[in-house]
Amino acid sequence: MIADAPPTAPLFALRGICKQFPGVRALDDVSFEIRAGETHMLLGENGAGKSTLMKILCGAYRADAGAFLANGEPVQMTAPADARKLGIAVIFQEFTLVPYLDIAHNIFLGREFASRIPGLIDRDRLYREARRVLDAIGFAIDPREPVHRLGVAQQQMVEIAKALSQEARILVMDEPTAALSERETERLFAMIARLKAQGVAIVYISHRLAEVFALGDRITVLRDGRKVASVMARETTPDGLVRMMVGRAVDTTYGRHFCERPGKVALEVKNLSADTGIADVSLTVRAGEIVGLAGLVGSGRSEVVRAIFGADRVTAGEIRLFGAPLGGTPEDSARRGMALIPENRKQQGLALGRSVGDNIVLAGLPRMFPSGLFFPQRALAAARAMIDRLRVATPSARRTVAFLSGGNQQKVVVGKWLNADARFFIFDEPTRGIDIGAKAEIFKLIDELAASGAAVLMVSSEQTEIVHVCDRAYVMRAGRIVGELARDELSEANIVRLGMHQ
Amino acid sequence: MSAIRTAAMPALARVPGVAIVLVVLLVLFGLTGPRFLTAANIANILIQSTVLILLALPMTLIVMTEGLDLSIGAVLTLGSIALAMTVIATGSPALGVIAGLAVGLGFGIANGALVALLRIPPFIATLGTLGIAQGLCLVVTDGQSVVGIPAAIERVYSGTLLAVPLPIVIAAVAYAAVHLLLYRTRFGTAVFALGGNREALRLAGVPDRLMLIAVYALGGLMAGFGALLMTARMNAAHPTAGIGLEFDAIAAVAVGGTSFERGNGWLLGTLLGVIAVGVLRNGLNLLAVPSSAQVACIGALVILALFIDAVRSRP
Repeated sequence: MIADAPPTAPLFALRGICKQFPGVRALDDVSFEIRAGETHMLLGENGAGKSTLMKILCGAYRADAGAFLANGEPVQMTAPADARKLGIAVIFQEFTLVPYLDIAHNIFLGREFASRIPGLIDRDRLYREARRVLDAIGFAIDPREPVHRLGVAQQQMVEIAKALSQEARILVMDEPTAALSERETERLFAMIARLKAQGVAIVYISHRLAEVFALGDRITVLRDGRKVASVMARETTPDGLVRMMVGRAVDTTYGRHFCERPGKVALEVKNLSADTGIADVSLTVRAGEIVGLAGLVGSGRSEVVRAIFGADRVTAGEIRLFGAPLGGTPEDSARRGMALIPENRKQQGLALGRSVGDNIVLAGLPRMFPSGLFFPQRALAAARAMIDRLRVATPSARRTVAFLSGGNQQKVVVGKWLNADARFFIFDEPTRGIDIGAKAEIFKLIDELAASGAAVLMVSSEQTEIVHVCDRAYVMRAGRIVGELARDELSEANIVRLGMHQ
Repeated sequence: MSAIRTAAMPALARVPGVAIVLVVLLVLFGLTGPRFLTAANIANILIQSTVLILLALPMTLIVMTEGLDLSIGAVLTLGSIALAMTVIATGSPALGVIAGLAVGLGFGIANGALVALLRIPPFIATLGTLGIAQGLCLVVTDGQSVVGIPAAIERVYSGTLLAVPLPIVIAAVAYAAVHLLLYRTRFGTAVFALGGNREALRLAGVPDRLMLIAVYALGGLMAGFGALLMTARMNAAHPTAGIGLEFDAIAAVAVGGTSFERGNGWLLGTLLGVIAVGVLRNGLNLLAVPSSAQVACIGALVILALFIDAVRSRP
């Protein structure tokens, strides 16, 4: 009698994977299994090795050591073509779509059907097959639509269609809900359920504990390039997972010192409207307060803070900062002590290729050097003082910002504005892309800003953050403020109730 | 109309800036005198634009990959000299044409290798090969024109096929070929991806660097065909004949609405751009504006066309 592989033999397994980069051991002896019809959640802080593991799974990186088994048989994994052959498809956060090609050409990029005329693509078949794949995932859109006209959620659907068109049996998704609204997230989850039922294995990377439990069958936690544990979702708790991820218990209440006696009105906005779709927005923020701006993605929160800061043109209304009308340009707002810390740090908040010190002194240059002459030693001293004050984890002020973790980059942005004497801070999604341990640090920083008398306006899609961090919150829907919640009314349920249609 | 072509158009419902510019130019020059809007003159403009079309077509693809080929005019000149010298030495027009094409293709592959393999920025790489090609032109000819080319070559420019001038036939075939290449082949899909998302191409298992080399090689090859037309037109090879052609070619691509980022290109726009440049040069010639001042006008044309597109794409 032949000894069969056990019936539960995993679809795919990694054994003892190691990957070394100059100066960093990105993965150290990581083993991990993927089973058909199962969602395997991959958890870990930034820098834990998730991205490296994904790149190895899709063949973009080559492992230094370790083995790969498909259905128990050793296989090669050294190039993207190997991964494709094994039925592994990866959906990165940064989509691998070509903006000026249409959906069909994107789905079949590199696998176009040959026409009977040598050299040409069989376009009838291309569009027919694209239609078939799109129908299979329930995405009703013209495959001739160019990708650059699609929204993020639609682009993600195209990515998924692309993966499935390759007969993928293992679908790897990197924080797929990061840029989705709640409704889009629900749709994605429904599709994941459908794929699972078809026997597709899902590897799902996420920071959001709620998602981990909503979707996950099996959970693997990575820390510092090593696997901490693989557990079944039903056998663990959120607290247990967090402890595994950070190696210590994290206080999700963030130890806020709530503001008992708000100071003078710092910002007063009356009946603000702008071309970007916001109308009749009124709000106030007092010194020492942290005020939240909640609502669904697309409800106009970012548009409000952009209009306040002067980044978008205002069509009606009045904005007063510390009692005086604001000029309506970013330069004026910054000069008057207002700081906008944007959602997209990497593109809008930091000169990534420059040092930590350079970034910190950047916005304060006119104040620090009124003569126009630059004194490097004085700049460096100021930068070092700020690094100490904010506890930025960097080997030196000369370290290039790009090498810092997301949380520390966020601190550098804040330090830049503090150095420019900002007293009013707007945070747009301050914890996006930041791991759970660094989140607490960021909120501690925001708390300290408020405690020192600064005023803070904070936009966040994470209702728990608004509830735990803010003194008050406004809730937006469809470009308007639909309610204000005082400290004792602030709950996730109230935010959701106001943010959605009744 | 093909779907990707629609996709690449700057604005679907709106007339692109290059078309407006072209109409305005035709009206303006038509008003200056009776000699401009004649069938003979229009035919003349088209025939004179054929060399530029051969260069601007591949330049569109190169620009779509977020690249540039500054050497294309100098390579054309060198190809023309190689053609002329080979024909004179061997007496075989076919060998001459092959020599011209080989020079073009060789430089194109060299450009592509410098950009794709050595990762030298296209501006620098092709500036280098521009210098080499132009220098070789002057060295091998001693700065003199190469004359005494057999009539067979000249007939490529003056001949007709079914009453259509041969240069027009060649340009039309070139346009159709590059159109098919860009919109109907895997190579063309790769061109969109090279500028739009190179990582996507790599992950799809397409040899991205080979494709990039092919894009520049196509540019060189087309410069070789341009060399044939240029030599035939002048019945000689002049060592400075192609100077500034890269400027006209890049200008035509830009006027045509191909943007220099994210792989956004429009081949028909380039064709209209070439004609706009040709109309402008011809009209200014009729008005006896010196060639040096024409360059300034082409520069203004580029800015005007992009200005129109920018103003209208605003929300």
